[in-house]
Amino acid sequence: MTLGAFWGVVWMVSQALMPAAIGKTIDAGVTAKDTAEIWRWSAVVLLLGCLTGLAGILRHRCAVTNWLTSAYRTVQLTARQATDLGATLPSRIATGDVVAIGTADTSSIGSTMDVSARFAGAVVSVVLVSVLLLSTEVRIGLTVLIGVPLIMALVGPLLKPMHRRQSEVRALQGKLTGRANDIVAGLRVLRGIGGEPEFAERYREQSQELRFAGVRVARVESVLESAQVLLPGLFVVGVTWLAARLAVSHDITTGQLVAFYGYAAFLVVPLRTITEAWGRLLRAHVAATKVVRVLALSHPLAETAGSQERAEGSGALVDEHSGLNLKPGSFTAVAAADPAEAIELADRLGRYRAAEGVTLDGVPLEAMPLGSLRRRVLVADNDARLFSGRLADGLAGAGAGAGAGVGAGAAVGVGADARADGMGRVTAALHTAAAEDIIEALPDGLDTTVSERGRSFSGGQQQRLRLARALLADPEVLLLVEPTSAVDAHTEARIAERLAAARAGRTTVVFTTSPLMLDRAERVVFLAGGRAAAEGRHRELLATVPAYRATVTREED
Amino acid sequence: MTESGPQASGRQALPVATYPEVRLYAGQVARARGRDLTLTVGLFALAAVAGLFGPRLLGSLIDGVQHGTTAGHVDTIVGLIALFLIVQTVVTRYAKLAAGKFGEGVLAELRENFVAGVLELPLSVVERAGSGDLLSRSSRDVDMLSMAARYGVPTTLVAIVTTLLTVGALALVSPWAVLPLLVIVPPIAVVFRWYMKRAPEGYLAESARYADMTDSLAETVDGARTVEALGLQRYRIGRTDEDIRRQFAAERYTLRLRCVFWPTAESCYILPVALTLLLGGLGYVHGWFTLGQVTAATLYMQQIMGPIDDMLAWADQLQVGGASLARLLGVAGVPADREASGEQPDGEDMRARDVRYSYIPGREVLHGVDLSLTAGERLAMVGPSGAGKSTLGRLLAGIHGPTAGSIAVGGVPLVELPLADLRGQVALVNQEHHVFAGTVRENVVLPRPEATDAQVRDALSAVDALTWAEALPEGLQTAIGADGHTLSPAQAQQLALARLVLADPHTLVLDEATSLIDPRAARHLERSLAAVLEGRTVIAIAHRLHTAHDADRVAVVEDGVIAELGSHEELVATGGAYADLWESWHGRGAAAAEQV
Repeated sequence: MTLGAFWGVVWMVSQALMPAAIGKTIDAGVTAKDTAEIWRWSAVVLLLGCLTGLAGILRHRCAVTNWLTSAYRTVQLTARQATDLGATLPSRIATGDVVAIGTADTSSIGSTMDVSARFAGAVVSVVLVSVLLLSTEVRIGLTVLIGVPLIMALVGPLLKPMHRRQSEVRALQGKLTGRANDIVAGLRVLRGIGGEPEFAERYREQSQELRFAGVRVARVESVLESAQVLLPGLFVVGVTWLAARLAVSHDITTGQLVAFYGYAAFLVVPLRTITEAWGRLLRAHVAATKVVRVLALSHPLAETAGSQERAEGSGALVDEHSGLNLKPGSFTAVAAADPAEAIELADRLGRYRAAEGVTLDGVPLEAMPLGSLRRRVLVADNDARLFSGRLADGLAGAGAGAGAGVGAGAAVGVGADARADGMGRVTAALHTAAAEDIIEALPDGLDTTVSERGRSFSGGQQQRLRLARALLADPEVLLLVEPTSAVDAHTEARIAERLAAARAGRTTVVFTTSPLMLDRAERVVFLAGGRAAAEGRHRELLATVPAYRATVTREED
Repeated sequence: MTESGPQASGRQALPVATYPEVRLYAGQVARARGRDLTLTVGLFALAAVAGLFGPRLLGSLIDGVQHGTTAGHVDTIVGLIALFLIVQTVVTRYAKLAAGKFGEGVLAELRENFVAGVLELPLSVVERAGSGDLLSRSSRDVDMLSMAARYGVPTTLVAIVTTLLTVGALALVSPWAVLPLLVIVPPIAVVFRWYMKRAPEGYLAESARYADMTDSLAETVDGARTVEALGLQRYRIGRTDEDIRRQFAAERYTLRLRCVFWPTAESCYILPVALTLLLGGLGYVHGWFTLGQVTAATLYMQQIMGPIDDMLAWADQLQVGGASLARLLGVAGVPADREASGEQPDGEDMRARDVRYSYIPGREVLHGVDLSLTAGERLAMVGPSGAGKSTLGRLLAGIHGPTAGSIAVGGVPLVELPLADLRGQVALVNQEHHVFAGTVRENVVLPRPEATDAQVRDALSAVDALTWAEALPEGLQTAIGADGHTLSPAQAQQLALARLVLADPHTLVLDEATSLIDPRAARHLERSLAAVLEGRTVIAIAHRLHTAHDADRVAVVEDGVIAELGSHEELVATGGAYADLWESWHGRGAAAAEQV
């Protein structure tokens, strides 16, 4: 930062001295017809120019490094904070606000790093030029020192309407891009069923609207641009006139006349930098306040969690409220009359909401540290996200051992046995989830890079990959919420057949209303009104509980 | 994109216009808007000329001062400088405005043509290319081009005009005055070429890495619950750190490029100034030039570096803009995929004969499918994922032609029907549930913009969607999609089906069109839909077995062929794969099986 400011000062000052050096060349060398002086001062001009170039790039280097360091630090902190807030994040703050930190806010904060170095240079060079001017000719010095800020003040008011219209254009541009993206995203629908002329027309209307907004900006910009020609120009003309009058009466030299002309033209730059720095610091302050506010949030469940830690138990999960009692290592299917009830119960059992009355191996969930609870009980629902990146990593996820052992090139320091073992577990999980065909169809198999949120996979494929991931996590208690709702009957039958065997000895609950799934469960619990209303084998319940039959066979009437 | 077909085939990239095509286009634009372009360039030239009088007049002022002159003469010359300044101001204003109008016009035309081209893309290309490529064209490329057209092109244009005119002004001061400028041409040319070879790619990589970083942050934020559930905290944090590392590497690369390019260029800028002072000074000593000439030349040299710097600084942006232009123009270069033979279908029966299909030559996914559908029949297709159901569905909807064999409606191959006719015959609805930004009504009336409110209501009610649609804050006029009210995937699927009802083709292909709807609601929906579609031919790729149960015939697709075909009862009686599935669905011998 200090280094950046130093180069910023050198950069600005070397430019500030340029008019003086040129003036000197003319006075001491050219007018005096002194060849040696001409050589000397031309060399000074050249060196000053090279110094400007050098200091400019070194300043830029420091600015970029500082900018990036601060931006990266902000992104890192935000990512850590997001993982700390975890499941409670959406309820605490809009995700858009968090993402904005990673984009707009970081660049606001980062840009202060750039502008502050130039700001330092600007202040020093303005002071320097003032001293130089006042020491040579007080009248012109004062004119320049009063005139330049005055001009800045005159141009200033023009900037506001321009910024306003520019942001108007940006907003319109954003909307238009949104419209085009909307067309592209729904193109299959449009091309399949029609409606293209309406969409083309609507796009054209918006595009023309943007066009005229753009022309309006050009109108303001053109006034500003010409004001930036006129005002500093008039000022330079004024200074030149004063200086020329003085030169005629031999109060100043010809070289000084040229130098004054140069100073007047130069001073506009540092003064503009100073106004720019002010605006940026204000914006950065707003951004930093937003970042700090997000970073100050904490996980409410983690705060209230107890400390009865246990690495591994038998997996007996009991819920007093619903009357659900899961024996260690059992495989249970829960059919809920209302899908919302199933989700609510799963969230209770996993403590994503208040979990009073739920115990794991006799210990209330609320008395356990959240971290160890999450390791032991996994709720796998259809809102779970797939992440972009290498597929094998995404599947292995937290199971670092398996992750390191899967696929090519990732096995540094992992023995061949461990690798084979990891590979075997992945293959087994994919088999259980009937997801092998997905991997086979991919060009690079498990090494394929998954696109953002797994969008390149169809709904059914995503669901099977999520199931494989949950199986690989191999928790003590696994709660699956409608794990096969988006796959076809054939595939579902396969998954249903394999699931119980794959989870043998581990407590597993499947929330489902699919007969294919329910038929394979050793025990089915029918959930109605938030309570376990009946339990038994699927076929018994079909025959004896009419409400259950209505739920799973989707009878009408 | 359903099932594995399109993924297995790999994405087909859309074409990019070649350099001559881009140049041809630029030429057309220049000719079509010749008057505007001439006006813009002319005004800029005039402004530049007005700006060139300053140093020259200052030079003569200095000559005057040196040789002793009157205050009156100083006033006259300074007055002249002021006059030219005012001319320059006024002309700059109009030049800028003309450039703005010209640029915005070209830009609007270009993006509108692009979107029109997108909307005309052949069906098979739309199905196969994936939306990623097209999305990056419609968003990033349009933005890049806007940037180049709004600022890059005018700035460069002004810079070129100003540079040329300034060189002229220098030559007018003295032909020798141009010489110092020539000295810097070789070093700048060398370093500029070096930079331009690397910079555009470097900056593109830089912004792509930046997007990666923010995207994965967004993923972490969006999937925070999943991160917590699976204990992925360290993995996601590691991912962010890795993204940052890669972004930093890209930044460092471009920084290195600038560290070579800019100091070299900037040192070159000052060289002619110093040389002019030196040589001019020496020349003055020898009496070859006046002091005024030396001053004017020095000031011109300082002044010309601004536009030269502009040209160099914008060159990489222009190159990026040019690449974006090529990608936008490329969309228009996609060849049409269907050729209408002009034949009219005779009847509504559909017949598939020995249909084969491969996405990649040599990797056949359908191995000879025969299927006849009589008008008004309802066929359910079941089978494991990856068996080829969706591919067959797309072929039956006329989206692709089969690799071998034929699919015809009323005797005319589907791919020989013009698109407008095809839509009247067959329509496909799949799992994809895109909701367009617009009102509920606008989302439904796609196939028939002229539909009345009553028709829209009927269509919505046929898919059980009228109740919730009317309960929205502004009923059918409620804005939904990207900027509006968010619909659930199930509601989106209902809208897709409502569109189909309104389109009213005689044959419908439903590819898991109700898969996202709650199973209980789905059955009710399918039955009410069936009532509306009475008399229509329906091919339903079934997700749930009750769909198959309710159909006239069931086709079991396995490994790219139809393994079993017949009514539900027939197939259950045969005791094949379908019967097994059905039994496990209902439980062997359970009384419930008969009640459904």
